[in-house]
Amino acid sequence: MKLIGIVGTNSDQSTNRKLLQFIQKHFADKAEIEICEIKGLPAFNEPKDKTAPAGIQELAEKIEAADGVIISTPEYDHSIPAALKSVIEWLSYSVQPFIDKPVMITGASHGSLGSSRAQAHLRQILDAPELKARIMPSAEFLLGRSLQAFDEEGNLVDREKIAELEDCFEEFVLFVEITNALLKEHHIRKVQNKDFSWK
Amino acid sequence: MKFVGIVGTNAEFSYNRLLLTFMEKHFADTAEIEVLEIKDMPFFNETDDQTDSEPVQFFCKKIEEADGVIIATPEHNHSIPSALKSVLEWLSFKVHPFDGKPVMIVGASYDVQGSSRAQLHLRQVLDAPGVNATVMPGNEFLLGRAHEAFDEKGDLTNKGTIDFLESCFRKFMRFTDVANILNLPEDVVFEPGEYTVKALGHNGDLPMVVTLSSDRIESIDIDSSGESVGIADIVFTRIPQEIIEGQTLNVDIISGASVTSHGVIDGVAEAIKLAGSNPDILKKRPKAGSQPKPEEVELSTDVLVIGGGGAGLSAAATALQEGKNVILLEKFPAIGGNTVRTGGPLGAADPQWQNKFAALPGEDSTLEKMLHMDESEIDEEYLADFRILKNQIQDYLAEVDGKDKYLFDSTIWHRIQTYLGGKRTDLQGNVIYGQYDLVKTLTDDAPDAVKWLAEIGVAFDWDKVEMPVGMMWRRGHKPKENQGYAFIAALQKFVEKNGGQIITDTPVKELLIEDGKVVGVIAGGPRNKKVTVHAGAVVLATGGFGANTKMLKQYNTFWSEIDDDIKTSNSPAITGDGIKLGESAGADLVGMGFTQMMPVSDPNTGALFTGLQVPPANFVMVTQEGKRFVNEYESRDKLTQAAIDNGGLFYLIADDEIKKTAMNTNQAKIDKEVAEGILYRADTIEGLAEQIGIEPEILVDSVNKYNSYVDAGEDPEFGKNVFDLKVEVAPFYATPRKPAVHHTMGGLRIDTATHVLTKDGTIIPGLYAAGEVAGGIHAGNRLGGNALADIFTFGRIAGKNAAKNR
Repeated sequence: MKLIGIVGTNSDQSTNRKLLQFIQKHFADKAEIEICEIKGLPAFNEPKDKTAPAGIQELAEKIEAADGVIISTPEYDHSIPAALKSVIEWLSYSVQPFIDKPVMITGASHGSLGSSRAQAHLRQILDAPELKARIMPSAEFLLGRSLQAFDEEGNLVDREKIAELEDCFEEFVLFVEITNALLKEHHIRKVQNKDFSWK
Repeated sequence: MKFVGIVGTNAEFSYNRLLLTFMEKHFADTAEIEVLEIKDMPFFNETDDQTDSEPVQFFCKKIEEADGVIIATPEHNHSIPSALKSVLEWLSFKVHPFDGKPVMIVGASYDVQGSSRAQLHLRQVLDAPGVNATVMPGNEFLLGRAHEAFDEKGDLTNKGTIDFLESCFRKFMRFTDVANILNLPEDVVFEPGEYTVKALGHNGDLPMVVTLSSDRIESIDIDSSGESVGIADIVFTRIPQEIIEGQTLNVDIISGASVTSHGVIDGVAEAIKLAGSNPDILKKRPKAGSQPKPEEVELSTDVLVIGGGGAGLSAAATALQEGKNVILLEKFPAIGGNTVRTGGPLGAADPQWQNKFAALPGEDSTLEKMLHMDESEIDEEYLADFRILKNQIQDYLAEVDGKDKYLFDSTIWHRIQTYLGGKRTDLQGNVIYGQYDLVKTLTDDAPDAVKWLAEIGVAFDWDKVEMPVGMMWRRGHKPKENQGYAFIAALQKFVEKNGGQIITDTPVKELLIEDGKVVGVIAGGPRNKKVTVHAGAVVLATGGFGANTKMLKQYNTFWSEIDDDIKTSNSPAITGDGIKLGESAGADLVGMGFTQMMPVSDPNTGALFTGLQVPPANFVMVTQEGKRFVNEYESRDKLTQAAIDNGGLFYLIADDEIKKTAMNTNQAKIDKEVAEGILYRADTIEGLAEQIGIEPEILVDSVNKYNSYVDAGEDPEFGKNVFDLKVEVAPFYATPRKPAVHHTMGGLRIDTATHVLTKDGTIIPGLYAAGEVAGGIHAGNRLGGNALADIFTFGRIAGKNAAKNR
């Protein structure tokens, strides 16, 4: 199984990056996970020609080619970072690779809440018709106190947390398989949707 | 009434812009609405802080000045646009102009929904603690099908829509009035009087008297006599000064002394509470003094010294003696670095002086051991010196045979001890020992450093020759009082008197390099001040990296493990800045993997000067089980390893006589530390054992055995051979100790003239380094007393050579 992990921030220091790196390593025998950065991608500005810049195009292609996507988001002011929102806007406005794509949401925060409100926003955002991602329901992975959560090798310290993540990931693998099997013959609507605009 | 209206998108065309423009025009009679565009705002990135950029500052100022804010948001993917979110992130990161600001949310969209979901998200975002706006409840103005809502002039066409907008806006005007009442400064009324409260100092609570009149904080007096001189002075003067000047508790904490800074602020807050008022009101007041625009300063000097510890100050003083202009930059508010924290004496061989003291039992056997040492153990560079040393020892032993022995010493004995004491093998099997020419310079010139310091005003106590933990021989020169502060105070006075300029609060950001020569630095000052210094030569005297756990772990090749939360005896300023600056100029690094732990540090703070710190001749070290585990005179790394092997925490056991030899304390401080649980005291050994959770019989047995070894002058268990006090006079003391990072041996590669060298050994023109920032001298382990010898020897060499630019 091929998955894409998107680091939901443009910050140089990020425990969400660490979390994805851990997921990548820990589940290496279950899935090939490529980690994608959003740092350096241009800010969305609703250009008339609706052409995505090269970096966005590249990310979109990776998402399209992947069986599923994991997004790990921090929480800024009770919501997702502008940097992540900007990438999602680009993708929804141009290539729309998220349509019917199975998505798992994770998040890490320095405080104890583990980006819970940002994750709830991200679900609502990915649910918008122009994105139409297939978000894994009823499963969330929230990592609070993330600065203390990893050891030097970047492994999660708390065994219970690892078990929780393993359950979550196992469910996602199943969810990806089922969703992709169900949606195999479903490409027509995707084509229709491509002509989207907020206008 | 004045509002700003924020267009919530950076798109070229926007109905939300149209809506705000309509509101501006339509309500012109009742309110002034200034429409602001967000398209010039930089994109938010927490690791690229642009709070000081013009667009962010502009928004911040406009919002702060307005009575209220109207945000018009489109809806992108069920939420607000990233461009608007980015703006809110800047305005909640380092500045918080929305705090308490009345906000009205409106929105326009193509579909019938009118950005309803985006408005809900925006409410939640504005509610976040960093933003903390006061958002008007209800009155949701959602303009659906916006492309059909306006005429060509940009006016709304539907009367019902206009009526509703008017109703919402009228309510917002009233809401703004009401909400801003919450922002009015509350009056404070104090019950006048003098309030005695406590401020938190480094060594525990300090008494503080806050004098209040009915509406003002009149004075703040802190009794800091219980503090180590020099370290926290700045906190106890600057913070009260800023509190009184601004009549505010919103003051900047002092870097490196945040606990103490908060301690003072909290103490004043407590006094205000006692006077029947609410300290939160004063915490919301503006800071003292206006915030001027970032200032740029450009300076020129012959010699620029970076770092205000002992090495930097002696370099500055020496360059001044050479008749040059000198500027010294210190990143902290106070100078002193690690030197001000030292309690140890300066190690230098001065036989003429030392010979006046009687030898202690055991010293001759240490010397005899040298005579029997196999020469194959000595590295080639040191062999000639080793042979001279053996002759010196033989001559000495022959001379004193059958007579009263005096204390022996020589610069070569100091050199060989520095070499042997520093020779170590790391975890990877690499052997390291001190570079001969540097060790020779250190030991040859250290006696001159003592004389020089005495000349510029350091009063040494010539009646005592000291040997602290890890010094290995009695050759310590100790100032009469105030320990490390004596050096710093004398040097500061000398530098300032001779026209040297000391600039604090100014960390150096980068070296200026032209054609491979270091010609100055760029530094930052308080309130974003930029300081550029052009210099004929630059001396790095920034200390090691003992307070930088990340660097310690990155380079460590000696200890099996360095804890994430390891404590340090160092100043928090000692974070390896000079090593990074040197590297930026191409410097080579030597011996970076070797770190010295101070085995006898406070288990909670890493500080050295709590408890009873005395020459190890006077106490017994026991484990948490009450058993001796090591020769108390072992080198620092052996003591540290022994401590780690025995559970980390251990105790120094001593009797009442120790007070006479304890250089760091007095009766009042001892009583205070006992009261605070830093130190344990009991009238019997059994009672002491119970206090620290040790089986009394075991501790009594350990002490009895030790006392018998003192009588015999020999310790068959651990080989201690220098004894002074027994443990026999009540009351008895136990000081808990644990190893903490003390000295980083590695650093920039230098030559004997303190030039900083590149990997291929060439000199980097214009750059000198002295003190802990340089490596190669102490190698794997630094002897006690050699850090002071190092800074005052190589600091002076650096000052002299930088002055002559050779």
